[in-house]
Amino acid sequence: MTAVDTVTAATNADGETSMADKGVGDGGQGPAKSRPGSRRRYWRAGWQRGGIEIRHLLRNPKELSGHLINVVVALVVAGYMDDDVPGTHVPMSHLALSGFAAYLLFQIGLVNLPQILVTEREEGALLRLRTTPGGIPAYLIAKSVLVVAMALATLVVLLGAGALLANGPLPHGVDNWLTLLWVSALGLLAVVPLGAAVGAVLPNPREALALIMLPAMGLLVTSGAMFPLTSLPAVVQKIASVFPLKWMAQGVRSALLPDAARAAEPAGSWELPTVALVLAAWAVAGFLLAIPLLRRAARRESGSRLGERHRKANLGAAPAA
Amino acid sequence: MTTTEGAPVPPTADAAPPVIQVSGLRMSYGSTDVLHGVDLDVRRGEVFALLGPNGAGKSTTVEILEGFRQRSAGTVRVLGTDPARGGDAWRGRIGLVLQSWRDHRRWRVAELLTHFATYHEAPRDPAELLALVGLTGQSGKQVDQLSGGQRRRLDVALALVGRPELVFLDEPTTGFDPEARRDFHDLIERLARDEGVTVLLTTHDLVEAERLADRIAMLVNGRIRAHGTPAELARSAAAHAEVRWTAPDGTARREHTADPSRLVWELHREIGGPVADLEVRRPTLEDTYLRMVHQDEVAGTAAGPVTDAFDDGVGSETRAA
Repeated sequence: MTAVDTVTAATNADGETSMADKGVGDGGQGPAKSRPGSRRRYWRAGWQRGGIEIRHLLRNPKELSGHLINVVVALVVAGYMDDDVPGTHVPMSHLALSGFAAYLLFQIGLVNLPQILVTEREEGALLRLRTTPGGIPAYLIAKSVLVVAMALATLVVLLGAGALLANGPLPHGVDNWLTLLWVSALGLLAVVPLGAAVGAVLPNPREALALIMLPAMGLLVTSGAMFPLTSLPAVVQKIASVFPLKWMAQGVRSALLPDAARAAEPAGSWELPTVALVLAAWAVAGFLLAIPLLRRAARRESGSRLGERHRKANLGAAPAA
Repeated sequence: MTTTEGAPVPPTADAAPPVIQVSGLRMSYGSTDVLHGVDLDVRRGEVFALLGPNGAGKSTTVEILEGFRQRSAGTVRVLGTDPARGGDAWRGRIGLVLQSWRDHRRWRVAELLTHFATYHEAPRDPAELLALVGLTGQSGKQVDQLSGGQRRRLDVALALVGRPELVFLDEPTTGFDPEARRDFHDLIERLARDEGVTVLLTTHDLVEAERLADRIAMLVNGRIRAHGTPAELARSAAAHAEVRWTAPDGTARREHTADPSRLVWELHREIGGPVADLEVRRPTLEDTYLRMVHQDEVAGTAAGPVTDAFDDGVGSETRAA
């Protein structure tokens, strides 16, 4: 919930300010629109749009299986691990499942979201919404709803199936549930605005996937998500600890694993204050980056630019066909 | 000029301010001038066609009017507002149909239209609109299953859902088969006649412009080279009739005149009998248009003021009387 509120509050403020400074010339024209009324309409449109997009995702077997396959891979990999985390009695599979949970959140924000944004920008959805009153705030609300729903569903399916089928970990006690909640929410806040910024910049869906997937996989391996960080060289640890995934995974582990597993952490503890600090810093940086980039992306769209890209895409596709 | 029953717009329309007012519009990209001082007035309730070959500056002009591009110089008012400062309220009064839109492919037709209705304060009834554009039978279909013509008609419905006063149609029938084209033309005629919407249509197709427009402006190489009602343009084109005959000495002769009947009469009197191989040909609007486009390609940017096009070719060959 934190994620929705903060993202939409910030993005809505973005929409409102741009409306406010552009709306000056409108002063004398027509009846002044009642601001609360129109804002309520945008929120309703945004939630409705989010709901419809979730429904479309659920009805699209190809895309849905693309998301489910991640969960299946995670469960299969964890299922094949039968040793313990070195120096503890915690099953390695529990560490890996915690890492996958963090990684899948990371992937929703930094791989799935940019892909959705680039695709919708290329097809002209962003332009259409820009030409619709309140379209951009509604779009951002809808995307937040969609991302939170995807994240929640992924966690529920992964941890649920893990617990049922692979004797996977679940938080013990209210404290751990709360930790899982805030780490997930803050983790999303760290990666979603960043993903939006990436989606605003990248040229087209195909290139976007190639450009994002490689660093994401690199971080999956080096962030201690699948095996203890201590088994990696110190330099790699240092580099990985700049990025949010390492801290997301560490936070999720603190919620899912018993305290005894702290022995396998580089610091010997969960470092939750640092987790919060690093993720919050990424969230702030992401927002600062995403707002101007998204604005620019929306402003730059026009019919002829869209047409130009379609022509290029068709030319590119022609020799292959 | 098309008027709505009960609320007639005076043919001169001087009483109401123009929906679009453009004067001295200039646009340059770097050192390249794309528009060299365009003047336009579009009156309330009319269908206005901006006609010109590809690359003439149509898209640039329209995108400035739509508020997607900044102009280099000149005054532009669309619905009384400078498009560069148009806010959400202004956007809500404008509908856009772009050739390059391929968005919301997964949505169902009625679902999409109903969703976009929620952004507006007093939207039109989606079901009624679908009937208007002839898509009632497709309302449950997914957007990407529509034909090109159906897709464009859906775009028209989406543009109309917020009850706009002005609709931009960007080369709407490009790539249509003849039947889809005729259906689309019928729709636009009905829109202007029954709904009282002002339409700015861009096209490179003269036949389309003649069929749909109350007034036409021909944009060639960044300048308006001619404008008027189709009848006015056709009259002034036809005024430069070409008369061919064979002189008594056997040489083939050719002259351009505004008064072919008088020329032929004079010829008969001079020769004192039948004139050999006599042929009178009145140029169509299409001839004039093509000549104008061709001349401009040859002459480059050294074109004269608005009326030039129809005076060209008269001078040197006109019979000295």
